[in-house]
Amino acid sequence: MAQREKSVKLVLNQQQLELIDATIARVGVADREGVVRIALREFFARHSAARPDDKA
Amino acid sequence: MDERRAHARLRLEPGTGKALELRRGMILRIEQIEGGQCVDFNCFNLQDHKEFFHTGRTRHMHGLHPTKGDFLWSAPPRERPMMHILEDSAGTNDVLYPRCSGFLYEYHYGLPVHTNCHDIQAEAQREYGLTPDDVHDSFNFFMHTGIDRAGRPFIGRQIAKKGDYVELLALFDVLAVPNVCGADVMATSDFSFKPIALTIFEPNEEALAAVPEFPKFGTQRTPADFKIKNIKADRALRRDPDYVPEFTNVPIRTTELSVALDAEEGQALEALKATGLYGHTDAEVLRYVLFSWWIERFMQGPKHFDDLKA
Repeated sequence: MAQREKSVKLVLNQQQLELIDATIARVGVADREGVVRIALREFFARHSAARPDDKA
Repeated sequence: MDERRAHARLRLEPGTGKALELRRGMILRIEQIEGGQCVDFNCFNLQDHKEFFHTGRTRHMHGLHPTKGDFLWSAPPRERPMMHILEDSAGTNDVLYPRCSGFLYEYHYGLPVHTNCHDIQAEAQREYGLTPDDVHDSFNFFMHTGIDRAGRPFIGRQIAKKGDYVELLALFDVLAVPNVCGADVMATSDFSFKPIALTIFEPNEEALAAVPEFPKFGTQRTPADFKIKNIKADRALRRDPDYVPEFTNVPIRTTELSVALDAEEGQALEALKATGLYGHTDAEVLRYVLFSWWIERFMQGPKHFDDLKA
């Protein structure tokens, strides 16, 4: 397993956590943290190329 | 469709509107006689007038210019498709602009007595016991509109031609109220009034069967779900001394979720933060990314989220 580089503390309410909990099985991860990490990876893969130059 | 039987044919004259009972499966055709005429439209559940058409939800679901295949939705908390647009030969409808009203003509033009869609609707709806307070924002058929580069809405020249028509299928019993738009000094109908032809066709089971099925949710409520089931019949508002608030999911509680990122993920987060598009702190960016990703990957229906266009 890759070494963890940094820890980020997300503040989420019960409704946001409900959505994340309902997503765990859909993306095949073990827990809430896994959902956040796969979201980051996939979002970055999709948006990283186009975005930096978009800022006005 | 050629085998349809006409139940009624009417001609809407300028300055007028007509409340029409449509049973489930009936089809209303609204047709240009000369062309270039906007038709404002209200719609109520025939069995419960407190359920009525909602421009906002329709705009949310189908954008500013609903057309063939789209629905006319009722207002929250009912939020059901009321009518289905079966045909739309001109393709130039609007759910951005509110109905014109007496105030607008007095304010803009100094004309205190002038045809206007609110009052025309009110007069047509009076046939069914409704009051001017019951008129709601209209679906504007054959109204050519847009948004300019500065974000301001505009009314364009008419593109509806003679013979252009829309057809609306009633998905349950409704009171449908079309009116010839009362705007003759606005661009809406190219500064002139024209009559409109209406045809009501007998219920069409084939058309009903072809309507795409929409999922039904518990959040699409009926009066049976309401805490107060009777319609308030007096005008003054008085406080209920026994009222105890019961807001959903209140209190809202927050929880801290610690997420450990590996080196590659940490670099991705830093890169996204450096764009300045998603927030200023690691936590802000990660939360924004999390829910943006969810919308992008799982959300049903129109996403209403510009960031996803990348």
